[in-house]
Amino acid sequence: MAGASMKDIKLRIKSVESTMQITKAMELVASSKLRGAKLRVERSRPYFEVLYQTLADIAYSTQDFDSPYIRRREVKRTCYVVIAGDRGLAGGYNANLFKAAAAHMQGKNVCVLPLGKKAVEYYERRGIELLSKDFAEVAEVDVGSCFEIAKLLSQAFLKGEFDELYLVYTNFVSMLTQTPTVLGMLPLEYNAEAEKTGKRKLRLYEPGPEAVFDAIVPEYLAGMVWGGVSESVASELGARRTAMDAASKNAGEMIDDLSLRYNRARQGAITQEITEIVAGAEQ
Amino acid sequence: MTSFRLKIVTPDGLFFDGQAEKVRVRTIDGDVCILARHLDYATALGMGKASITIDGKVRHAACIGGMLSVTGGEVNLVATTFEWADEIDTQRAQRSKEEAEMKLSKQNRLDKQQIMLAQARLKRALVRLNATE
Repeated sequence: MAGASMKDIKLRIKSVESTMQITKAMELVASSKLRGAKLRVERSRPYFEVLYQTLADIAYSTQDFDSPYIRRREVKRTCYVVIAGDRGLAGGYNANLFKAAAAHMQGKNVCVLPLGKKAVEYYERRGIELLSKDFAEVAEVDVGSCFEIAKLLSQAFLKGEFDELYLVYTNFVSMLTQTPTVLGMLPLEYNAEAEKTGKRKLRLYEPGPEAVFDAIVPEYLAGMVWGGVSESVASELGARRTAMDAASKNAGEMIDDLSLRYNRARQGAITQEITEIVAGAEQ
Repeated sequence: MTSFRLKIVTPDGLFFDGQAEKVRVRTIDGDVCILARHLDYATALGMGKASITIDGKVRHAACIGGMLSVTGGEVNLVATTFEWADEIDTQRAQRSKEEAEMKLSKQNRLDKQQIMLAQARLKRALVRLNATE
């Protein structure tokens, strides 16, 4: 009985050890990739911020012209660009993102442009209409494909296929914290707070507000999507690193615990054997 | 000369943040030049050479796509691509130009998408070469 249990424990230790090797390797891979991704986030952030700020300024200071990008219309359909990961094993990264998206989508008629294999799978399973499945691999999305996405989105928006556009991504706050975020992209929002102060600056547009907007908005969408992708990729790696670190630690604890039980079982078996021998000699 | 705060950002990062005296860029409607104390302004950028005067020295660059805005005296140049002339690989641009031209010379064998791609490539190469001159 003790022998069988010894063998069981040994097998278990081996399996936990090999799992630990995998989680350790994944952690190392995630942290080395994270370095690159973090650099990318830091480099794309000024673009993201300046772009958003400038567009908000313009949208706010200009209400003397009519652009379909600014006009609020009755919302019949809402489109979400959801940026998730390509793989699991990243803790709550994907689940948290989908939860945040679902909370925002509640009660709306939605369609989704998923980025990342997990997002495609998730929304396909729920039977939600997908705008395009061309961008399934978030790791392969570059600036060029962001421009393609932006073109697709702005055309669909102008055609009236949807009336609101949101970006759902995970904000890379730090190595340890990543928060899912929902950001409104279209129609452009202007700062309601600034309006209260009553100062509305005049602005010159060349050649004209409509022409400028038509040229800038796809650019703006591309920039926002690119920023979201950079942030999300870094977040995914950060989440994976944390999750794998925890998994490796747990595996270590399990191995310690199992070795203790293994030694006990071994000792028990030896004691029993000695008792049997001694009992045999006495007879 | 009076200077103003200029920020140049692209998806690849912050290229410049500091005082400049003059910015000349190609917009969708032709070249414009921004000096200090310009009124609030916004325009979309085309493809072309940009010349920026910093401390009396002119630096040239290839600047493609994006927007230029002036808000309260600060100038933001948000470009899709922005390359300083001294960082452009002339040989590569030259090669790219020749390849695109080759492709376009056999136009009847290409579909619309391919022609558009080749034309865009040729334009980019020409802008880069022009900026280094």
